[in-house]
Amino acid sequence: MAKILDKQRYRCAMAAMQSVQAIDRAIPVLHSGPGCAQKLANSSGSSGYFSPNIFPCTSINEKDVVFGGVNKLRTTIENALKVIDADLYVVMTGCIPEIVGDNTEEIVEEFADAEKPVIYASTAGFKGNNYKGHEQVVDAIIEGLLEKSDEKTDGLVNIWADVPYQNEFWLGNLRELEKLVAELGLIPNTIFGYGRGIENIYKIPKAQFNLLVSPWVGLKNVKKMEKKLGIPYLHYPTLPIGAFETSKFLRTVGEFAGVDKNKVERLIEEKEKYYYYYIERFADLFLETRVMSKQFSVVSDAQYALGITKFLVNDVGLFPARQFIVDDTPREFRKSIKEYFEELNYGIKAEAVFETDGYKIHEEIKKHDYTGYPLILGSYWEKAVAEETNGHFLSVSWPCNERLIMNSFYVGYDGGLKLIEDIYSVAKTRFN
Amino acid sequence: MSYKIAVASSDGANIDLTFGEAFEFTVYEAEGTDYKVLEKRKYELPDNAVPRTNTICSDKASCRDDCGNGRGCSGAVFPKVEIISDCRCVVCKKIGYKVQKQLEKLAIISFDIDCTVEEALNKITVYIQKTDTHRSLRGIAKA
Repeated sequence: MAKILDKQRYRCAMAAMQSVQAIDRAIPVLHSGPGCAQKLANSSGSSGYFSPNIFPCTSINEKDVVFGGVNKLRTTIENALKVIDADLYVVMTGCIPEIVGDNTEEIVEEFADAEKPVIYASTAGFKGNNYKGHEQVVDAIIEGLLEKSDEKTDGLVNIWADVPYQNEFWLGNLRELEKLVAELGLIPNTIFGYGRGIENIYKIPKAQFNLLVSPWVGLKNVKKMEKKLGIPYLHYPTLPIGAFETSKFLRTVGEFAGVDKNKVERLIEEKEKYYYYYIERFADLFLETRVMSKQFSVVSDAQYALGITKFLVNDVGLFPARQFIVDDTPREFRKSIKEYFEELNYGIKAEAVFETDGYKIHEEIKKHDYTGYPLILGSYWEKAVAEETNGHFLSVSWPCNERLIMNSFYVGYDGGLKLIEDIYSVAKTRFN
Repeated sequence: MSYKIAVASSDGANIDLTFGEAFEFTVYEAEGTDYKVLEKRKYELPDNAVPRTNTICSDKASCRDDCGNGRGCSGAVFPKVEIISDCRCVVCKKIGYKVQKQLEKLAIISFDIDCTVEEALNKITVYIQKTDTHRSLRGIAKA
């Protein structure tokens, strides 16, 4: 049967060059055909010290397929080291060199003694999408840069959460998670975004534990670090948005890290007071049931679909319709993720569907009776179906074409308030 | 089906001439992964061209003689391209951008590679056989 081009919700594994770009002063060196960095051309917030337009690339062609492209790769790395002032060079392979069998790893090993670290991440497109690619990049860092450390820093916690650039709120969320962890009296360590970089990478082995806030992306990495670096990990699958989940998050992290229970409870009490002060002030609006939808659907990756579903049920009091997970979640994680969606308060269960076919998702949304205006949180692609179904629409996942997201975030108590603000700002336009 | 490959080599063993330097191409006939020499094709300079004084293009002035010599040339198809226009591909040490484009228009693959004729032809014939029979190129660079 003929297939048509579908709405793009993620890119190939090699787009994980964004994860490299998210590390301050790190640059991807591409062993691929010309134009493989072009897929990042429409990303939001990707200019700066290094932008995809200047990523060194072997630009291999037919000749390199026939005769192999390793010599070109060697000179490209050599010259990248000469002309680009970076702290970390991550060689990434596209599909062509991996199909024809270029031994990229061997070439990268030749640069083991280079002044700056050169590491290799295998990111051929046929290996999966950029969620997988992100894992490959972190894997390459663990493999190529980190050694087990006997020296540990008390209270140091490595935090892993959103996939940079793919999750539009990645940096704001990461910073807010840092703040929450710091308020527990721990020392957060992250490698992505402004003011972090290679120094923080070298701190990873000294951490007391890894904190992974994600349903599945990165699980492979923390397991690897447990094995190679001897760092235990805490897997917290739900992105904590709003009071209910964030308090639970603080309790879980506090308990795992051995923080005094009373201290955690005091912190939560103070935070919740602050949070509910705002909720109470606007309670008249929230209790006006004609404004807000009764049921909602999230069309996003597992990270946001789960985080937002929990928030909208547990904190906002909406009822979940079907939730659509569009990140092509690997099969081995699907069962446990489905179960996370069933652990909602008041005995409510949400049905999560793993679907990458935009047409099918939109047909299901159109078919479902939302008993009023549907509330659709998705990507730009869901705008049309929201209009068709006369729904409230907020774009939260990639591609987020009509919003500019710089440092805002949905994580934590403040993040929850921000998401309520955003949703009600949309809903209120209908009545004003 | 057999096809022809033009090779720029001064000694018949190594690919040691650039496209501009080559005034003679050895044309091989290939079928599957077998190949043999078919003929030699000479390229004569046009009558109005200033003869070259040296074969290597180090002296800029001497390069204004004909096309396909590294200085580029606009307009019609280079005469040198015409003499190999029935070949499936051309193999030489280096090749200029404009000539490459002209070859591309004629669906001739150009390979600029510094190795022995044998190595080049072995690899090229395997590649062409695989693509013609729609077989995977997996691991081709390792062979």
